[in-house]
Amino acid sequence: MVDHVTTIYQCTLPFHEYRINSRGHLPFSTSKLSHPNSKQNQKPLPSPHPTNAEAPITMVTVSVKWQKEVYPAVEIDISQPPYVFKCQLYDLTGVPPERQKIMVKGGLLKDDADWSKVGVKEGQRLMMMGTADEIVKAPEKGPIFVEDMPEEEQVVNVGHSAGLFNLGNTCYMNSTVQCLHSVPELKSALTEYNQLGKSNDLDHSSHLLTVATRDLFNDLDKNVKPVAPMQFWMVLRKKYPQFGQQSNGAFMQQDAEECWTQLLYTLSQSLKLPSSSEGPDVVKALFGIEFDNRIHCAESGEESTETETVYSLKCHISQEVNHLHEGLKRGLKSELEKASPSLGRSAVYVKDSRINGLPRYLTIQFVRFFWKRESNQKAKILRKVDYPLSLDVYDLCSDNLRKKLEGPRQVLRDAEGKKAGLKTSVKTSGSTAGDSKMTEAEESSSGSGEASKSTAQEGLLPEEEHQLTGIYDLVAVLTHKGRSADSGHYVAWVKQENGKWVQFDDDNPILQREEDITKLSGGGDWHMAYICMYKARVVPM
Amino acid sequence: MSKTPDPNSTGASGSKSNREEATIKVPSKDPKKKDDKKDEDLSEEDLALKQQLELYVEKVQDADAGLQKVALESMRQEIRTATSSMTSVPKPLKFLRPHYGTLKGNYEKMPDSDVKKLLADILSVLALTMSAEGERESLKYRLLGSQGDIGSWGHEYVRNLAGEISQEYGKRQSEEAPIDDLMELVQQIVAFHMKHNAEPEAVDLLMEVEDLDLLVEHVDSTNYKRTCSYLTSSAKYLPGPDDMLVLDIAYTIYMKFEEYPSALVTALYLDNTQYVKQVFTSCDDLLRKKQFCYILARHGQTFELDTEMCAEDEERERLQEIINNTKLSEGYLTLARDIEVMEAKTPEDIYKPHLLDGRASAGASVDSARQNLASTFVNAFVNAGFGQDKLMTVPSEASSGAASTSWLFKNKEHGKASAAASLGMILLWDVDSGLAQLDKYFHSTDTHVIAGALLGVGIVNCGIKNECDPALALLAEYIDKEDPSIRIGAIMGLGLAYAGSQNEQIRDKLTPILGDSKASLDVLAFTAISLGLVYVGSCNEEIAQAIIFALMERIESELGEPFARLLPLGLGLLYLGKQESVEATAEVSKTFNEKIRKHCDMTLLSCAYAGTGNVLKVQHFLGQCAQHFEKGETFQGPSVLGIAMVAMAEELGLEMAIRSLEHLLQYGEQNIRRAVPLALALLCISNPKVNVMDTLSRLSHDSDSEVAMAAIVSLGLIGAGTNNARIAGMLRNLSSYYYKEANLLFCVRIAQGLVHLGKGLLTLSPYHSEHFLLSPTALAGLVTLLYACLDMKAIVLGKYHYILYFLTLAMQPRMLLTVDENLKPLSVPVRVGQAVDVVGQAGRPKTITGFQTHSTPVLLAAGDRAELATEKYTPLSPILEGFVILKENPDYRDDQ
Repeated sequence: MVDHVTTIYQCTLPFHEYRINSRGHLPFSTSKLSHPNSKQNQKPLPSPHPTNAEAPITMVTVSVKWQKEVYPAVEIDISQPPYVFKCQLYDLTGVPPERQKIMVKGGLLKDDADWSKVGVKEGQRLMMMGTADEIVKAPEKGPIFVEDMPEEEQVVNVGHSAGLFNLGNTCYMNSTVQCLHSVPELKSALTEYNQLGKSNDLDHSSHLLTVATRDLFNDLDKNVKPVAPMQFWMVLRKKYPQFGQQSNGAFMQQDAEECWTQLLYTLSQSLKLPSSSEGPDVVKALFGIEFDNRIHCAESGEESTETETVYSLKCHISQEVNHLHEGLKRGLKSELEKASPSLGRSAVYVKDSRINGLPRYLTIQFVRFFWKRESNQKAKILRKVDYPLSLDVYDLCSDNLRKKLEGPRQVLRDAEGKKAGLKTSVKTSGSTAGDSKMTEAEESSSGSGEASKSTAQEGLLPEEEHQLTGIYDLVAVLTHKGRSADSGHYVAWVKQENGKWVQFDDDNPILQREEDITKLSGGGDWHMAYICMYKARVVPM
Repeated sequence: MSKTPDPNSTGASGSKSNREEATIKVPSKDPKKKDDKKDEDLSEEDLALKQQLELYVEKVQDADAGLQKVALESMRQEIRTATSSMTSVPKPLKFLRPHYGTLKGNYEKMPDSDVKKLLADILSVLALTMSAEGERESLKYRLLGSQGDIGSWGHEYVRNLAGEISQEYGKRQSEEAPIDDLMELVQQIVAFHMKHNAEPEAVDLLMEVEDLDLLVEHVDSTNYKRTCSYLTSSAKYLPGPDDMLVLDIAYTIYMKFEEYPSALVTALYLDNTQYVKQVFTSCDDLLRKKQFCYILARHGQTFELDTEMCAEDEERERLQEIINNTKLSEGYLTLARDIEVMEAKTPEDIYKPHLLDGRASAGASVDSARQNLASTFVNAFVNAGFGQDKLMTVPSEASSGAASTSWLFKNKEHGKASAAASLGMILLWDVDSGLAQLDKYFHSTDTHVIAGALLGVGIVNCGIKNECDPALALLAEYIDKEDPSIRIGAIMGLGLAYAGSQNEQIRDKLTPILGDSKASLDVLAFTAISLGLVYVGSCNEEIAQAIIFALMERIESELGEPFARLLPLGLGLLYLGKQESVEATAEVSKTFNEKIRKHCDMTLLSCAYAGTGNVLKVQHFLGQCAQHFEKGETFQGPSVLGIAMVAMAEELGLEMAIRSLEHLLQYGEQNIRRAVPLALALLCISNPKVNVMDTLSRLSHDSDSEVAMAAIVSLGLIGAGTNNARIAGMLRNLSSYYYKEANLLFCVRIAQGLVHLGKGLLTLSPYHSEHFLLSPTALAGLVTLLYACLDMKAIVLGKYHYILYFLTLAMQPRMLLTVDENLKPLSVPVRVGQAVDVVGQAGRPKTITGFQTHSTPVLLAAGDRAELATEKYTPLSPILEGFVILKENPDYRDDQ
C-alpha cells in the first residue's frame, strides 16, 4: 500500500484529452489500479504543471462513494472541468466517464459544469453511480406471446375446444354435439364431405344438417371463446321439427338421446353416399354394433336367427342392476310376444342377442327415462349404476367374435404386463408373439365370411394392423341432472386428446379430474350418466 | 346497589328495600314468609347494632347539642368501621336507611354549628344509597359538611361523589355558575384516586370537569405509566380537540418522568415536530437518542438533527444515519439469515402447481405476456429486499446479464417497465447495490426499460434518505422528457423515494407539470399523486392550488376517465389525517364540474379523517352509500374506502366497520360492492381475520368479475407477508378455478405474491408501535393502490400495473431486532405472544398471553407483542418492535 502517491496519468479517451492529476489514498494495491482499459493509456510523465504550487485554492479533497466502496480522499482540481474528475474516477473504478453519474447538489454533475457553481466543499462526500456492465440489449427475436397469436393457435394452449352457448334449453343439443365432436374420425369424415357433391337421393335438410355439423365442429376447433350454434340449431329444427316444440313461447327441453340418435342417423345417411368418400358407411363403421339374435320359442321349439345393426347398447336399469355390465347383459335377453306360425297363436319368444361386430366407438345408453303409464308422464330412474373407465365386452360377444378377439387380447395383456414391470423373458414373448400370429392366421382363414365388414373398417382405418380387443376406454359421458325427464340440465364430459377431462357445461368448459368422472353414476341429485361413449383399445398386429 | 324508589319517605318503602336486601342474601327463602319475620332473620349481633343505631338517631333529635354530637360521632364511628363486601351495603348504612328522611328533617331544623356539619357529613354518606337519581344529595351535603378527609368514608363514597360532581359540573357550566367549590373537591378526589391505584377514575373525573392539567401535579413515579396508558388509549375515543389535549398531558407527564421513548411516540402521534425536538434536547444520553432515531426511522419521519439536539458532529452524523434508515437493509438481511430464508424463490415455488392435480395449466409451450408479467410481480414481491432472485438478478459469475436480460424481454411493452422496476423491489433499501444494478438499464434503447429503471431507482430509495440525493439527481432530468412512460416512471420514482419528505426541489420540479395543458392525463395523475406523497399530510397550499387548477382546466370529457379520479386523491393526500384543515379546500372542490365534484368531496373527506376513528364521518360515508343511483356514479367507491380509512384507527370501530360493510354488500349497488372487498382489505391489512377471510373467499367467486377481482387482490392484501396457509390454499384453488380467465388469474397471482411478501418477513400495516402510530406515507401508498383498484380494468389490468409498486411505501419488516450498544445485532431470549389490553387494569397484569420463547431477531405477527425473557439487559424502548437497543443491566446477577 502506498500512501500519498502523486501520479499523473494521461488518459487518452475517445472524446477528449486531458491531463489528470489524481492524488490521494488509493484503497487498493497498485496492481488493481492497472485497469485493463486504462493500461495502455497509462504513461507516467514528468509533471509539466506543478498545479499545487501555482494555484492556491484549486484543489478540493472529497470522498467518493461508489457502490459499497468509499474512496476517501480524491482531489478535485476545480480549475479543470469536471470531465477531468470523471477520468480520475475512471482510473479508480473502471467506469467510463460517459457512464458515470455523480450526484451533486441539484442534480448530476455535467461534464462541462463549473466547479465553483457546483460548490463542492472540502471533505464532502460525493456519490457516483455507474457500472462498466454490458448494456442490456433486446434479444433480436422477441418471444411470441399467446396474446399476440390468432385465436386458432391459442386453442392449442388452452388444451380443449370451445364451449357452446345455450340458446334456450338447448343443453341437450350442446352436450350431444360436444360428445360427438370428440370423435376425430367423425370430424375427418365430415371434413371430406363435399357439399357440392350432394346427391339427389339425400334430402336437402339432411344435407344442410351435415354441412352445419361440419361447420360447427370447425368453429369449435378454431375458437377459444364459446360459440353460438345458431345455424346448426336452425337446421336441426328444420330437419326434426320435434325439437322446435315450444311451451309458453320458449323452446322446450328435449331428450338428448333422441337428438344423438337422430343426428347420427342423418350423418349415417349423408356420409355413406359415394360422393362423400370411398363409399363405406362411415357412421356405421364407427358406431354400429352388429348383433346376432337368436329368437327361440320355448313352447313350440321354434328357433330363428337374424342379424341387426344398432348404434347403441342399452343398459336397462332394474332393481338388480348395480353395474353397467349387469345392465348390458340383461339387455341382451328379452322376451317378446309374437304370433307363432306353428302354434297358430301368439306365444312368448325369447330373444337372445350376442354381439357379432364391434365398433370403434361403443355408445351405451342408460335407459333412465321411461313412460309411466299410471301418471301419463315420463319418469326418471335415479338408481346408481356404476360404470368403469375401461369396459370389457368380451363376454357379450358371440363365439365367433370371441375367437377373433383372442389374439389381440393376448398381445394387449403382454404389453400391459411389460408395462407393469413383469420382466417377460425374450423367449416367452417370442413364443406368445408366434402364438398370436398363429391365431391371427386362423382367424383370417376362418373369418373370411366377415370380409365385407372388415374391409369397411379397414377402409376407414388406414393402419389395418390395428385390431380391436373388446376392451374399451371411456372417452365421453353425457349426463343429466334433475329429477324429471322434461327438466334438468344436460352436460357433456369429454376426455381430451391430452388425457384431461373437460366438463362442457354449455359455454363454460371446466377441467375435471378423472376420478370425478366415475362419480356420475347416479343415485343422488348430482349429474348422472345418460349416455357413455367408449373408445376401443386397439393393438397393432 | 339497589335503589329505593323514594328515598325520602321513611317507614314502608325503607322496609321494603330491606326486604329486597334480604332476598338477595337468602334467596332460598320465601319472600312472603320473610316479610313477617324480618327482624327474626337478623342475628343477635345485627339486632344489637340496629337498636344501637336507632338509639343514635333518636339522640340526634335530642335538643342537647352535646348529646347530639356524641350520637353523631358514634354513628360516624359505626359507619367507618363497618367492613363491607363488594356486593352488599354496609350494615350501619343499611340500618340507617329508614332514618334518612328523619335525619334530613332534623338537619333542616338545626342551627349552624359543628354538629350540623357533622350531621351533613353523615347525610352525605347516607345519600350514597338513598339519594334519588339526579338529586346529587351526596354532593350537596358534602359541600355543606366539614370538608374533612374525603377518603375516610371509603372508596365507594368517593366514586359516587365523583360521578355527582361531573353531573353538577355540567349543570353549572350551562348555568354559568361558579365552580370553585367543586374544583376544590375535585382536587381532593383526584389526589385520593391517584394514591389508591384508581388512575382511570381520576382521569375520567378530570376530563369531565375539563381540567386535565391538574393531573400533572398528582402523578408520581409509581402511577404515571398507568395514567399515561389510560390517557393515550382514551384519546382514540375522544372527539375534536380533546384527544390532542389528552395526549398533550400524556406527553408532559412522560417528559416529567423522563420516559422519553414514550414521550417521543406521543409526540409523533401528535405530529408535533417541536415536541420531537424537545425530546432530543431534554435527553443527554447518546444511546437513548439512538433509540429515538430508530423510532423516527420506523415512522418514516423525515427529520433533520441540528447542533442543539446533538452537539458533536460525528455523533450527529451517526444519529442522522439511523433516521435516514440506511441500516434497514442490513437489519432485514440479518433477520432473513437468522430465519434461513435467504434462498431465492421462483414464482413456481409460490404457485405450487404440483398441488393442483389435473387442472394445472396445460403445457405452457408459449409464453403468455400477462402471466409473465404476473410472475414478474410475484418474483418482486416474494424476493423483496433480499437482493437476489432467480429471474432478474444472476450471480455475478454468470455471464453478465444473460438471464436477467432474457427475463426482462419476456415481458411485453409496458410489462418491461414493471420488470425493470422489479429489480428495484428486489434490492429494496439497498441503495448502493440497487443503483449499481439498475444502471445498465439506463442505457437501453427501449423507452419502457428506461421508465422501469427510473421507477426502480425510486423503489430502491423508498423510505431511505441519502445526503447525496441520488434519486433526485438521477430522476430530475427525465421528468420533462417527451415520452409519457419515461415521464411517469421518473415522476412516480420521485414520489416513492421522497414520500413524506416535503422536499421543495421536487415541488418546484413537479408543480409546473400540473399547469402544463399539453401533458396527458395519466402524467398529470401520477404527478398529483407523487406530490401528494411527498407532501403527505402537510396541507401545502401551493400544491393544493396547482392540483385544483389542473382539475378545473381539464375539459369535461376527460373528467370521466379513471385517471382524472386520481387527481383528487393527490389533493386528499396533502390533507391526510389533518381533519378540519381540509375544509377550505373541500369548499373549493364544490365548484368543480359535477362529474368529479362528489368524488372529490368524498376523497378529500376520507383522506382528511383517515385514521381518526371519527364515528360521525363513518356515518356520513354510510349515508352516502345508502343512496341509489340510476347511472354509474363513481363517488361511492371512495366513500366505501373512506369508511375503512376512518375506522381503521381502533379495534372496536374496526369491528363495527366490518359489520357495516357486510350490510353494504347485501344492499349496495354494484359500484359499492366492488369497493367493499378493498375496504375490508384496508381494515385487516396484513392481519388475516378469519371472518374477513371467509367473506372475501365468498366474494372471490362473485358473478361480477370486478367484485371477484377486488376480493382476490384483497385476499392477498389481508394476508400480505403472513404466509398464511389458508389464504395460500384458497388462492391456489382460485388459480385453477380461474385458469382460463386471464384477468382474474393475474389478480390471483398478484395476491399469491402478496401473501408471500418478502417470504413472510414483511408487513403492509401502516400501524406500528403496538398499533398506536400510523405511518402517513405507508397509508398513502396503500390508499393510492386501493383507489387504483377501484377501476381494475383501466389501471392495474391495463398499462399501469406498476401502480402496484406504491405498496413499497407500506412495506416494513415485521421484526424485532435487538442490538447492543454498538448497534450490532445481539441475540437474546424474548417471549412473543398475543398482546393483552392492560389499559386501566390495576397491579402488574400480564401483557402477553400464549407466548413462546424465541431468541432475537424474531418475527412479530399482527397483534403480537414481545417482552424480554432475560433480566440481563434492559431495553431502551418500552415497545419491542423493529430495532431496539439493549443496555446491560448493572444489577443483573447470573444465578449459575
